[in-house]
Amino acid sequence: MAAAQAGDSAAYRRLLEELGPWLRRYYTRRLPPSIVDDAVQETLIAVHEKRHTYDTNRPFAPWLAAIARYKWIDRLRALKRLPTEALSEDISVPDHESAVVSATVLEQLLAGLKPAQAEVIRLVKIQGFSVEEAAARTGQSASLVKVNIHRGLARLTLTVQSQAYADG
Amino acid sequence: MPMDDLLDSLVADLEPVRRRTSTGDALAIGLLCALELSMFLGVGSMRPDMRFAIAEPALWWKFATFGVLALLGLGTAILSFDPSISPKRGLWWIAAAVAAALVVGGIVNAPMHHQPDLAMRLNWRSGLQCVMVMSVLALPMLVLLAVLMRRGAPTHRRGTALAVGVAAATWGAFVFVFACPHDDPLYVSIWYGVGCAVTIVYARALLPLLTRW
Repeated sequence: MAAAQAGDSAAYRRLLEELGPWLRRYYTRRLPPSIVDDAVQETLIAVHEKRHTYDTNRPFAPWLAAIARYKWIDRLRALKRLPTEALSEDISVPDHESAVVSATVLEQLLAGLKPAQAEVIRLVKIQGFSVEEAAARTGQSASLVKVNIHRGLARLTLTVQSQAYADG
Repeated sequence: MPMDDLLDSLVADLEPVRRRTSTGDALAIGLLCALELSMFLGVGSMRPDMRFAIAEPALWWKFATFGVLALLGLGTAILSFDPSISPKRGLWWIAAAVAAALVVGGIVNAPMHHQPDLAMRLNWRSGLQCVMVMSVLALPMLVLLAVLMRRGAPTHRRGTALAVGVAAATWGAFVFVFACPHDDPLYVSIWYGVGCAVTIVYARALLPLLTRW
């Protein structure tokens, strides 16, 4: 910086190039990513405009850090002035109740089937595996998977109908 | 703007600069102090009874109070034009000095023979005149300090503006002590206090806006 104060362009360029990454790290930890570049450039301009205030008898880092901090606070004030939209506490979210109830009822119904039937219905009808994939996972033959699915669904239908009849 | 373009423009703009130093600022301020005081006294503003008043402790209390406060204010302001120096510690010293000055003023006040009527002691017509003259006397220092503040790089602009206000106001009061015939510590505390407050308030309100960088 002492050389820059005397007008040495090459030394000044080298200094500014070294300051860039340091300032980027400084602001990355303190500001939203979208304004880090602006803050770095603004600080470099401030360093340029106020380079005559650097006292060469004192260390450079505190001088630079003071300017960086000043520009950071300036940015925070500017951010505070930006219009913000308050989030309502009554934000509507999808109601998951019916899905939860359905899943619970389905599990109860499947628990009433034979384990081999319940397992292939879960794999093929709920999780979307093919008959062959379900056969490979369960160790059943493909035709047995089809039969178990068919019988399991028929039994589920009967159970649901009988419960509906009992409920009136 | 891409970073390389910015660096190119900054480097292209590079010229040798004259370094700002606290000593240089202090010299400029000293010159103004000498000029303003000599002009003020040169036009015959000194109180006519100065030869007798000089024996009064109250006059010395006035000189000491505003002299010390002006020195503290100027020191704090000049140092805080450097970006890495905060004016906070100096402002605390100023607050402590004001408190000490009021205590000493109370002690000086005790043995004085005053008129019993408070309204007469405060003498509001004369008091308002004092406030106006002090504010005008503070102006040259305020302008010079504002220029120096703008040339410097204060990073605590509000605190520095406050220190500048205190420095200019108490300097104006110090100069006015040579002319003011009122030595009653109560009068001085109230009306000099109001006079200083006027300058401090507008320095604190305006300077942060004028010296933004």
